[in-house]
Amino acid sequence: MKWYENTGRDHDVIVSSRVRLARNLVDYPFGNRLDDTSKKEIIAKVKDALCDGKKYTFRDFASLSETERIAAAEEHTVSPEFARGTGPRALIESADGSSFVMVLEEDHVRIQTITPGFSLDEAFDKAREIDQKLDSKLNIAYDEKLGYLTHCPTNLGTGMRASVMMFLPGTARSGSVRNLSNQLGKIGLTIRGMAGEGSSADGCLFQISNQVTLGVSEEETIAKLTKITERLIEQERALRKKMFEQDPDALTDRVMRAYGTMLYAALIDTEELFRLYSDVRLGVSLGVIDCVTAEQLDRILIGCMPAVLMRDNENVRDARSRDKARAETVRRLLSGPEGKN
Amino acid sequence: MLCERCKKNNATVFYRESINGKERSLSLCEECADKARKNGELETDLLNDGFFSEPLGGVDKLFGSLFGFPQLVGHKSAPEKKCSLCGATFRDLMSEGKAGCPECYRTFSDELSSTISRIHGTTSHTGGAPSRFKADRDLKDKIKSLEKGIKAAVDEENYEEAARLRDELRAIRAEKGDETK
Repeated sequence: MKWYENTGRDHDVIVSSRVRLARNLVDYPFGNRLDDTSKKEIIAKVKDALCDGKKYTFRDFASLSETERIAAAEEHTVSPEFARGTGPRALIESADGSSFVMVLEEDHVRIQTITPGFSLDEAFDKAREIDQKLDSKLNIAYDEKLGYLTHCPTNLGTGMRASVMMFLPGTARSGSVRNLSNQLGKIGLTIRGMAGEGSSADGCLFQISNQVTLGVSEEETIAKLTKITERLIEQERALRKKMFEQDPDALTDRVMRAYGTMLYAALIDTEELFRLYSDVRLGVSLGVIDCVTAEQLDRILIGCMPAVLMRDNENVRDARSRDKARAETVRRLLSGPEGKN
Repeated sequence: MLCERCKKNNATVFYRESINGKERSLSLCEECADKARKNGELETDLLNDGFFSEPLGGVDKLFGSLFGFPQLVGHKSAPEKKCSLCGATFRDLMSEGKAGCPECYRTFSDELSSTISRIHGTTSHTGGAPSRFKADRDLKDKIKSLEKGIKAAVDEENYEEAARLRDELRAIRAEKGDETK
């Protein structure tokens, strides 16, 4: 089961929660100072430490096709840097589809967990479980003063990045994201658009995460992010309500038109998909439309990312056939068990 | 590395001049470098006329990177220190913006402390640790939290609570042989 096939708390605003821990082995250099022999040694050591039963499966990530690697990044199970990288590297996945261990990303080991909805504690617990398993078998680089030692000094300390993927159409359309970004910056948090800085095709999806990793414990970091997220959820819901009340007909029209396009369009490109996703998801949360769920829409969004489509449809050869497959996938997933069409 | 003048602060300014074959080098903290600049001891203008050799220009360009320290006004004169595990020099760390290996953080701890403090606002970890460090880490966190508590109690003029926490802190330190002070 993949994370986006499940539902979670506060799903109208929070798409997913993620935690990543950066860990390194003592006695091995970082990054380009590692030769292939050392890389293979590290992969073997991490594999031995984790894959001792059926709970974790090992994949030689370098042997995957480019499409498969990019698709994994689009599903948020690996980082784009890991997907695009070169040289020996491995991915270890948990059977429940929530935890992913990237071996030889920027650090020797990056534990990443992703859980649906607002579930930071759950994501952290899962990451800690893997961390403890690694720690019981391997010598993890650590300094009493600086904490976990990482390739980049920005990750020193806990080596932890906790984040929530938020759906913020109300906040985005009220023009307050920039202001929010400034406010979050002052308290050591950061906000990024899902499709990268300054991109318009982001479906109103934003990732909020901690910036500082040194001098603040894991629990404090999670607690702070949780507190701020709760406040943002309330704010977002109020802004959506206000937006609807200002002109219910216009908003209903936009939602239903987007839904109509999803049902009947023959070609949909990525940018249009983000817009449709955002409009219909907003409509679902406001009760404007009830024949589709937020979870279904998340599944559509991820399932229609370019490389995921190419991986899952052998007919996809170029941009045109991809847009066609996207429109077909949207229709198919809308008429799934949860859909009423 | 400590400033060779005040012997208190970390040296962040490294200077070397070579006039008619006569060389002179200094490793100073920002404060002492300022004083030296004011009384004309450091010819910082020489930076701009190509008098110094290429490495300076090379390193100078990296000031925007994460390892923007130390600030060089001349090029480093001491034989370059190398990390015993990966062989990286501090110059390598500056140009890459990242450490070469875990050991680099110990090798270049003096040089890196201001950068780390600039990024995180502190140079002291709180939180999780590998099991081999766990007991010690928990104790340190406990001491830190007691110290914070004492300060808060004193601020609130709750001297009874402050005394209680102080006794607890003393007991822990005595037990630990004072090594975590």
